[in-house]
Amino acid sequence: MTVTWTVLPKLALRNVRRQARRSLLTGSAMAIGVAVLAFSRALGDGAHEDWIDAGVRMGSGHIAIQGPGYHASKSIDDRLGPDGVAQALGVLGQPGVAERVQAYATRFEVQGLALGATTARPVMISGVDPTVEEHFSRLGDRVVEGRYLEPGDRLHAYVGERLAERLQLRVGSRLVLNAQGADGEIAGQFVRVVGIFKTGLPEADAGVVQIPLGTAHEWLGVDGAATTVAVLVESGWVAGEMVNRVRDAVGERDDIAVMSWQEAMPELEAAIKVDDWGDYVFHIILFAIIALAIVNTVLMSVLYRTREFGVLRALGLTKGQTASVVMSEGIILTVVSGVLGMIVGVAVTWIFFRNGLDYSALMDSDFNFSGVVLDTVIVPTFRMQQVVLSLGSIFIIGVAASMYPAYRATRIDVAEAMKFEA
Amino acid sequence: MTSMTKSTAVRTDEVWKVFKHDGLAVEAVQGITMSVDPGDFVVVAGPSGCGKTTLLNMFGGLTRPTSGRVWVDERDLTALSEKELARLRLERVGFVFQAYNLLPVLTASENAEFSMLLQGIEPDERRRRIGELFKTIGIGGLEDRFPAKLSGGQQQRVAVARAVVGEPALVLADEPTANLDRAASDALLDLMVDLNRDRGTTFVFATHDPALMERAKRLVRLVDGQIETDERRAPAHQ
Ligand SMILES: Nc1ncnc2c1ncn2[C@@H]1O[C@H](COP(=O)(O)OP(=O)(O)O)[C@@H](O)[C@H]1O
Ligand SMILES: [Mg+2]
Repeated sequence: MTVTWTVLPKLALRNVRRQARRSLLTGSAMAIGVAVLAFSRALGDGAHEDWIDAGVRMGSGHIAIQGPGYHASKSIDDRLGPDGVAQALGVLGQPGVAERVQAYATRFEVQGLALGATTARPVMISGVDPTVEEHFSRLGDRVVEGRYLEPGDRLHAYVGERLAERLQLRVGSRLVLNAQGADGEIAGQFVRVVGIFKTGLPEADAGVVQIPLGTAHEWLGVDGAATTVAVLVESGWVAGEMVNRVRDAVGERDDIAVMSWQEAMPELEAAIKVDDWGDYVFHIILFAIIALAIVNTVLMSVLYRTREFGVLRALGLTKGQTASVVMSEGIILTVVSGVLGMIVGVAVTWIFFRNGLDYSALMDSDFNFSGVVLDTVIVPTFRMQQVVLSLGSIFIIGVAASMYPAYRATRIDVAEAMKFEA
Repeated sequence: MTSMTKSTAVRTDEVWKVFKHDGLAVEAVQGITMSVDPGDFVVVAGPSGCGKTTLLNMFGGLTRPTSGRVWVDERDLTALSEKELARLRLERVGFVFQAYNLLPVLTASENAEFSMLLQGIEPDERRRRIGELFKTIGIGGLEDRFPAKLSGGQQQRVAVARAVVGEPALVLADEPTANLDRAASDALLDLMVDLNRDRGTTFVFATHDPALMERAKRLVRLVDGQIETDERRAPAHQ
């Protein structure tokens, strides 16, 4: 019977409309729930994108190309030789890869000692190309005194604020860097402080010294080598795919290792997963509230209309058809409120927060997180996939939540429902 | 029991309904055997609680007998599944209850049309039947009104229209006049008498309204779930 496909939903639609006040109440509660969902999803995705962005910039990029073993040993012996570096850069220039590479930075990083006039501190010495790092790590943006490294600098150093304090350094001060060279001997290098930075992240502020890459090469005797070629792709969402492409392009070489940011910085991925779980729990609670609202509204309307369902059954509706009327009511209510809520949520998020939500007021100090300094402004991100997923979940919840009221409607005893008190 | 050669609109054989309530058994209908001929106008009368509603509900397949059998249009209801019963109600039985018969969200004509829609009757045919019937019944022009905008008498007329429009074997009307004033009730009875005469629609009523009993072609009196008297009458005003 094809007509019942239009008759019963039409009846359901009218029923939902008749109970306008109740429908509106549930509908808006649901809509708010969905709006909050859309908002939190957008912020969550936005935040994670920020985390990943900050993490990969300060760390080893979306993709880290290194010598095998370097990730574990952090030893100069596991460096990428000039041949490896050339190979890596060649891969990054290939069609299919080059278009989606935003930037890459060749770095030479070693553990060493920074010696001031009276004391010494263990530091990570990072040989960098200042022109590249301006767009990559952007550590230059964090300058508090002096300036960032510039092309042409040679015996210059850019140091963290805490380290400067501990070694009593100021702009113009000299310090000595000690580290193991390529020959296995400890080598010393004089440098002069050109700038002091502050990120808010203790490990960086107390333990990082940046020097020009060329200076590091000469000092350690590793001309043309790198410990890491860090690659930034166009967005975090394509990183996984790009890692595979780079891996394929490198081929079966045992002197080059290609790592995703998740492999290179497992703690960052773990942090995002933990935060995602928090979101999931929040969403489950939200979904539960939405489901309860639907069950309540639809069930109330069934119990309140037993006589109507009695009439329907007397007219010849089967139990299944009676249930389908109730299911349709629940689904109409859910879909309409769900879509409205999604529109409201996305619109509100877009109108008020498209430039970012500044939550610095909520933080009493600089916000850092598993080795990553974070911005206190989150820019919400909308992904079609998320919107569709949320709407799909809402729809499933609507169907599930209408099942019990529908079942109750089929349990109505017709003779009982049509009784009149004498 | 006489031999059944001609078909009946509804008939029963030793039909019982026993309600169990807190260990107490109420024998609402106690072994009734009767049959209703097509085109008849039967009133089942009796005091409140004598089993009229229960009997009518068993006629219409809304209540399953505890024992005995019921045939509508010569189909044994006790042998039908829930689904088949629903189908039989849809196509062969019309109901008119005491009040609140109509679906409040549908207009008068949509209410009357509802079971025809479910039966898959074509739109043109539906419209033709409704237009004709509404005029006959004296509610022409009220097609697009919602039940809340109709008087009690008008609502009952729409309910009658809905019950008869599908040309069922049997219309069961349980206290159809109980909520109406005298004038509305008389008008409703007139119209059902007319439908019975002009279209041959079979009516079975349950009532304790003397005005309705007066219209009966056949009056069956129940007492304590049993038939006390069953008589043919020359109905008034026919
Ligand atoms: N669902 C039920 N459960 C228990 N007893 C019932 C039920 N329905 C009817 N009865 C009892 O059956 C008897 C007949 O009821 P009913 O058929 O409604 O009588 P009438 O319609 O003649 O007033 C009454 O005693 C009534 O209380
Ligand atoms: Mg009764």
